[in-house]
Amino acid sequence: MRPRLRTLLLALPLVGLLPEGAGAQQATRTQPVEGMRDNATGYHALVGARVVTAPGQVLDEATIVIRDGIIREVSEGSDAPAGARVWDVSGHTVYPGFIDAHADLGMDAVPEGGDVGPTHWNPQVRAWFSTTRNLQDDAERRAALRSQGFGTALVVPKQGIFRGTASVVNLGDAGVRGRVLRPDVAQSIGFQRSFQLGGSYPNSPMGTAALMKQTFMDADWYIRAWDAYESSGRALLPPETSEALAALEDAVQGGQPVFFETRSEEEYLRALDIAAEFGVDAWYRGNGQEYRILDVLSGRAEPLVVPLAFPDAPDVSDPEAVLNATLADLRHWYLAPASPGRLAETGVRFAITADGLTSLNDFLPNLRTAVARGLSPDAALAALTITPAEWLGLSRSHGTIEQGKVANLVVTEGDLFTEEATVRDVWVQGQVYGVTRAPEIDPRGTWRIASSDEWGFDAVLEIEGPLNRLRGTIEVAPGPTVTFTGASIDLASASVVATTGRLEVRFDAEPLGYQGSVLLVGSIRGDDFYGWTSLPNGADPTFTGSRTEPYAGPTRGAVAMDVPELDLPVIRPMMEYGRSSIPARPEAIVVRNATVWTQGPQGRLQNADLLIRDGVVAEVGVDLDAPGGAVEIDGTGKHVTPGLIDPHIHSGVSGVNESGFAIVPEVRMADVLTHNNIAMYRQLAGGLTTAMVKHGSANPIGGENVIVKMRWGALPEELRLDTETRTVKFALGENPKRRQNRYPDTRMGTQEIIRDHFLAARDYEREWQRWEATQEGIPPRRDLRMEAILDILDQELLISSHGYRADEFLALVRLAEEFGFRVQTLQHGVEAYKIAPELAESGVAAVVWSDWGAFKLEAYDATVYNARILMEAGVVTSLHSDNSEIASRMNWEAGKLLRTGLTEEQALSTVTIQAAQAIAIDDRVGSLEPGKDGDFVVWSGNPLSQFTRAEQTWLDGRRYFSLEEDAELREQIRRERSQLVQAILAAQDENGNGNQRMGSDR
Amino acid sequence: MIGRVKGVVALGLGAALLAAPAASDAQVRMTVPPQSEAVAIRGATIHTVTEGVIENGTILFDDGIITAIGTDLEIPTGARVVDGTGKHIYPGLIDAYSTVGISEIGAVGVSQDINELGDFNPNVRADIAVNAESRHIGTSRSAGVLVAFSTPGGGLVSGMSSALSLEGWTWEEMSMESAAALNVSWPDPNPRRFWWQDDDDEDAPSYEEQVAELTAFFDEARAYRDAVAAGEEVRTDSRYAAMTPVFDREIPVVVAADGAAQINDAVTWALEEDLRIVIRGGQDAIHVADRLVANDIPVILTSTMAAPERDYEGYDGAYSMPARLHEAGVRFAISGGAGSLYTNRLPWEAGVAVAFGLPEEEALRAVTINAAEFMGIDDRVGSLEPGKQATFLITTGTPLDMTNDIEQAYIQGREIDMMDIQKFFFEKYMTKVMQYLRMVM
Repeated sequence: MRPRLRTLLLALPLVGLLPEGAGAQQATRTQPVEGMRDNATGYHALVGARVVTAPGQVLDEATIVIRDGIIREVSEGSDAPAGARVWDVSGHTVYPGFIDAHADLGMDAVPEGGDVGPTHWNPQVRAWFSTTRNLQDDAERRAALRSQGFGTALVVPKQGIFRGTASVVNLGDAGVRGRVLRPDVAQSIGFQRSFQLGGSYPNSPMGTAALMKQTFMDADWYIRAWDAYESSGRALLPPETSEALAALEDAVQGGQPVFFETRSEEEYLRALDIAAEFGVDAWYRGNGQEYRILDVLSGRAEPLVVPLAFPDAPDVSDPEAVLNATLADLRHWYLAPASPGRLAETGVRFAITADGLTSLNDFLPNLRTAVARGLSPDAALAALTITPAEWLGLSRSHGTIEQGKVANLVVTEGDLFTEEATVRDVWVQGQVYGVTRAPEIDPRGTWRIASSDEWGFDAVLEIEGPLNRLRGTIEVAPGPTVTFTGASIDLASASVVATTGRLEVRFDAEPLGYQGSVLLVGSIRGDDFYGWTSLPNGADPTFTGSRTEPYAGPTRGAVAMDVPELDLPVIRPMMEYGRSSIPARPEAIVVRNATVWTQGPQGRLQNADLLIRDGVVAEVGVDLDAPGGAVEIDGTGKHVTPGLIDPHIHSGVSGVNESGFAIVPEVRMADVLTHNNIAMYRQLAGGLTTAMVKHGSANPIGGENVIVKMRWGALPEELRLDTETRTVKFALGENPKRRQNRYPDTRMGTQEIIRDHFLAARDYEREWQRWEATQEGIPPRRDLRMEAILDILDQELLISSHGYRADEFLALVRLAEEFGFRVQTLQHGVEAYKIAPELAESGVAAVVWSDWGAFKLEAYDATVYNARILMEAGVVTSLHSDNSEIASRMNWEAGKLLRTGLTEEQALSTVTIQAAQAIAIDDRVGSLEPGKDGDFVVWSGNPLSQFTRAEQTWLDGRRYFSLEEDAELREQIRRERSQLVQAILAAQDENGNGNQRMGSDR
Repeated sequence: MIGRVKGVVALGLGAALLAAPAASDAQVRMTVPPQSEAVAIRGATIHTVTEGVIENGTILFDDGIITAIGTDLEIPTGARVVDGTGKHIYPGLIDAYSTVGISEIGAVGVSQDINELGDFNPNVRADIAVNAESRHIGTSRSAGVLVAFSTPGGGLVSGMSSALSLEGWTWEEMSMESAAALNVSWPDPNPRRFWWQDDDDEDAPSYEEQVAELTAFFDEARAYRDAVAAGEEVRTDSRYAAMTPVFDREIPVVVAADGAAQINDAVTWALEEDLRIVIRGGQDAIHVADRLVANDIPVILTSTMAAPERDYEGYDGAYSMPARLHEAGVRFAISGGAGSLYTNRLPWEAGVAVAFGLPEEEALRAVTINAAEFMGIDDRVGSLEPGKQATFLITTGTPLDMTNDIEQAYIQGREIDMMDIQKFFFEKYMTKVMQYLRMVM
C-alpha cells in the first residue's frame, strides 16, 4: 500500500455532524472528563431583538430559542420558554453569524530547521500540510475575528506556493478537537513564495506558474506510478515518496477544490488559465482589483472570495506630491471600495473575507464603506453568510437563523451595515462571547450628584455615546470651599467596568482651581448613584445622586459616502491612457498619396495608396479603388511604413528572470504578460506594433519568450501574436555565469551544461519510447523542462540567444549543428560582425543594436557598422532595443545606420521585414504586402529622420494611436487626476484630519 | 522550420567595396599636428549660429583661429583652398555634461574615474584623468561633438568640469579650461526607496541636514577666501582654496537638480550665496520656468531622449521639454545626458526636440553657443566668428539629423583623422567578409 495521507475524517457525513455545544455532548467526545463535570443547561432565549434571519428577511421583537448549540425556535413576539436562560436584547439586532471563507489563523509557521520527512524536493510545495492536523490555539486571532461577527471560518495555510489543506472550523474557544467542522476541504495555493521556506526555484512569477503546472502533472503521475508499483506485486523498485504529491491526489482528480490566492488582476488571469488547463475545481481569493475585470470574472471565477483591504489615499499633501500621484493609484483609491458593489451589480456571486487587512478591526468599518459605496446590505450579508455557507457545504447548518441550524449569531447595537454599530455578542454554537457587552446597568443619561463633604461640590454629569466609547461632560456648581463661578468640563475619559456597571470618569481639575485631574468613580444601581472622587489637593469627597433624565438612545452616526460622486469611465488598463474599448476596425481604410515604404517586393512608392480591408493589407499602388465607406487618410507629404517590430524587449511582464535554476525552458513569459504597461502605449506612439518579450539572461537556457502585438486596451491573453512560432531564450557570456554558487562559472561550463541538457532530453525521449512500446515498469513522468528541450532539438522551439562575443556565439552555433539543428537568432550580438560569414553559412539571423556598446567588457568592441557588415555577408539582420524606452523609437535606431552606407530602405528593413524574418513571423508582419496584418504607421516625414514623428499607428486595421486621440486622452487624464485629488482632500476634511481612508470611523 | 531565415537584402559586392572607408594602417586614429598653413573653404553654406547663415560662403582660418567669414573674401596667397561646394559648415558641437575620457566601460569599475570619495571635492579636476586614447573620443568626433565638458560626480560638491577639445596627444593638449565649472549635486527631498531599503534608515541624513551641510561648506569656504584676501595667514586648505573663483563669480556652479522643489531650493540658495548658477537635469524645470526666467538662470537638460518619469505625462514629455522651455523663455543647453559612453548621441538629443516643436536653429544653439556661454568658453567656441577657434564640421546638412553625413571635422584648425574604433572594426571585418564572398562566389 503506497502512503496515503488523506485523512479519514474527510469521509464523515456532514449531516449528523453535531457541533459541540456549551455542555459538551459526552457521546461525541472521546476525552474522559477529569474532576467535576461542567454541565450548564445550554438552554437560552434571546428576546426582544430585531432579527435578520437571512438577507432581506426581518422579524421584529423576536425570540430565538437555543438548546445545546442548535436553534430550536425563531418567532416574532413569543415569550421565552420556561427554563431557558433569558437574554434581554431588546433594542438590538441579531444577524446570522458570519463565515470567513479565507481566514488566516497563522497556524502554519515553518518549524525551525525546515520541514522534515519525504515531503517534496521543493520546500515551496507543502501540499501535505493540513490545517486540521496542525490546528493550534490562536485564541487572539479567533477572538479578533469573532469581534467582527465571524463564527465560522475556512482556515487557510499561507506558507509556500502549494500551501496545504484548508479546513472549516468554528471560531469558538472549544479545544482543538471541538472546532473542526470540515477537515481538509480544499488545497490552498498562491503565487508568492515564502522566503523562510528557502529553496532557490522558483524566484519569478513565471517560474511559479511552471512549478504549479509541473506539480499538478507530477501528482497525476504519482498516482499511476504507485499503482504500477503496487499492481506489480512490489516486484519493482518503488517510485519516490512525496507526501506533497500524495496529498494532491484528490485535487488533480477534481474531487477537492484548489483555492488560488491572487494578489492582482493578472494573477486572476493566471489562476483561471492554470485551472482550465488542469481541470481542477478552482476557488479564488480576490485582491481588491475585481472592478477592473468584471467581464472576465463574471461566470468564470466562482467561488470567489474578496477581501476588503482598501488602499490608502495617494499622498497629495503638497503640490509636488500631487505631481507624483499617478492616475492609476488615484483611481484605485477611489474605485477599490466600490468594487464589491460593482461585483454584485454585475451579478457575480462572491463571499467576503477579513483576510488581507492590516488590522482585523478595519473589517466592519470597511464593510460599511463598501455598503456606502454601492453594495446593498442584503448582498453584503449574503456574502458573509449564505454564500460562503453554500460553498463550504454548510447550507443545512449555517448561514441563516432558522430552526434546526447551528446557533451562530451576531448581536449588535445598531444596523451593522449602515451605522456605526457596535457588536455586543457573538454566539458560536450556542456559546456566547461578549464583544462589547452592555453593562448590567447602563450609566448613560443625565445625573445630578452632590457631596456633603466640605471639599465636594454639586454637579450635573452627562454620559452618552456608544458603550465602548463613552463620552460626556460634567457641569460643576460652586461648592462650599470651591471659590469659582462654575464650569462645564468635557470628560477626558469615561468608561464602564462592564460586569458591575461601575462608571469611571476623569476630567481636568483646572476649572475647579486645581492643577491636575479629578478622578470620579460611581457605582450605579438603577437610577441611583454612589461615588467618590480623588482631587488634586488630596481630598476624596463622596457623592450621591440620581439619574434625572434617561439615556436618550444611541447616537450612532449613519455611515454615508464621504467622497463626491465621480463619473470615472471603465477603462483598460485601469491607468493613464487606458481606453474604454478596443478601437473599431473599419471595413476598409485607404491612405492616399503618400510615400509608401512597403519593405516588400514593391519597394518604396511615391504618391501611392495603401488599402487595408478587414484588418489585412489588400493592395499598395497608385489611384487604388477603395470600397464606399472606406476610411480615407490623406497621406500627402506623409510617409507610410509597416508597423515597426522589436524582437527583444522586457516590458509588459510581471517578471523577467527565473534564475533559480540554470536551465528553465519550461517557464513561459506568456504566463506573466500584463496589460498594465504604460511602455506599450508609448511604443505605439513611436510606431512599434509587434515585439518579442524575452526572458532574462540569467540562464544558459532561459524561458520561452512571447511575441505580442501592441493591442493597448486588451487583456494579456489578447496581446499575443497569432503565430505558431515559439522561441526560447538562451544566454551566453557574462550574465549566465554571474550567479553565485550555481553552475556554470565560465563560458566553458555554459557550453557544457547546455550540451548535457540536450543529451538528457534525448535520453528522456528514449525512456518514453521504451515505455510506450512495452508499457512495463513504472510509467515515466512528464517533465516540462525536458519536453521544452526536445522541442528545441526538434526546431519547434527556436533558439534566440543572448550573447556578445564572437567566440561564444560560434560555440553555440556549432553545438546546435552537432545536434542537427539551427540556431534561429543571436541577440545583442555586439561582436556578430566578427563571424558574419559563419552566421551566413549556418543560416543564423542576427538581432543587434544600432550603436549601443561599451557598457560592459563584453560589449566593448561594439560598432555601428555591425548591421552593415552582417548584411553584406547575407545574414538576416534586425535591430532590437532590449529596453522598453528605446523600443519606442526604433525608427531613429534604424536611422543611425544611414551613416554606415546602407540605403534608406535597407536601414528601415532592420526594424520591419528583417526583424520579422529574424523571429520567423514574416508570414504575418514586417511588410505591406497583400495578406499581411494591417499594421502601419503614418509618419510626418521620412521615418529615418530625427525630425520626424509618428502621427498615427494602426494595428490589425484598427487605429491604436493618433496625435488627436492622444491629446484628448491627456485632457481626460488631467481632468480625472484633479477631480480625484480634490476627492481625497474632501474625504480628509470630512474625516476631520489627515485620515486618508474613506468612510472609516476607527 | 529550418530555412525560414532568408536574406532579402543582399547588398551586392560592388556597393560594399565602394562604401568601405579607405584602408588605413593598423592605427585607429592619428593625432595630427597644429595647423601650419592658412586654409580657406569656399562655396559652402556656413551656419555661424550667432551671425546667421551664409550661402555660398567662405571661411578662412589660420593658426587654429577663424580669421574671416563671408561671401566675397579675398583669399590670402599661400592659403590652401578647399572646395566646399554643396557642403554645410557648422560649429563643432559641445557637450556640456559628459564623462568622456574618464569613463571607459560601464560595468568595469576600474575603468571609471568619475566619483571621488567624500561629499566635498571641489579641488578635483577631470582633465588630468582624461585618457587621450579613449575609444569614445573618436566616436564622439565622428558624430560631430568636438568639445566636451568632462564632469566628475558623486557627493554634494563633486569637483570641477574641464572643457576638452577632442584632439590632442595628451590631456594637456586637449584641456581648454581645467576648472571650467564647479559641480554641486543638490540633495533630493523625495529620495526613492527600494523595497529592500528601510523606510526609516536613521543613518541616512535628511534632506534638511544635507542642505545645511552644503551651506556650511560654502560658508567656511567663503570665510577662507575672505581671510586670505585680508592678508591673514591661514593653514592651507585645498578644498576651500579651489572655491575662490566660484565666489568671485568667475566660474559657474552647475547644480544637478531635477525636481521642482529641488530646483526651487537650489535657486533660493544660489541667490542667497550670490553665485552664478546653472541648473543641470531640469526634468521639472517647466514648473519653475517663471523663476528661472526672472533670475536669468539657464538649464542644461540631460534627458531629452527619454521616456517621461510619470505615467500620466505625454509620451513626448522629455522630447517636447526643450520646446516648452523655449516658449516659456528659459535659456537652455542640451547635453549628452547619458554621459560617458554616449557623448556621440548628443546630436540626437538635440534633434529630437526639433521633431517635437523646437525651432531647428534653437536646437543647434542648445548644443553650441548656449553650452559654450553657460560654461564660460563662448569667447573661443560655440559659433563661427572671426577670432574664435576653427573648430567646425563639414557636413551634408544639419548634424542633428542622422539622414545627413558628417564628412570632416576641424579642431582648432587641424583637419582631423576621422577614423575611429567603430570604423576600424568595419574595415577589418569587411575584409573578412570580402574574403568569404570571393570564396563563395
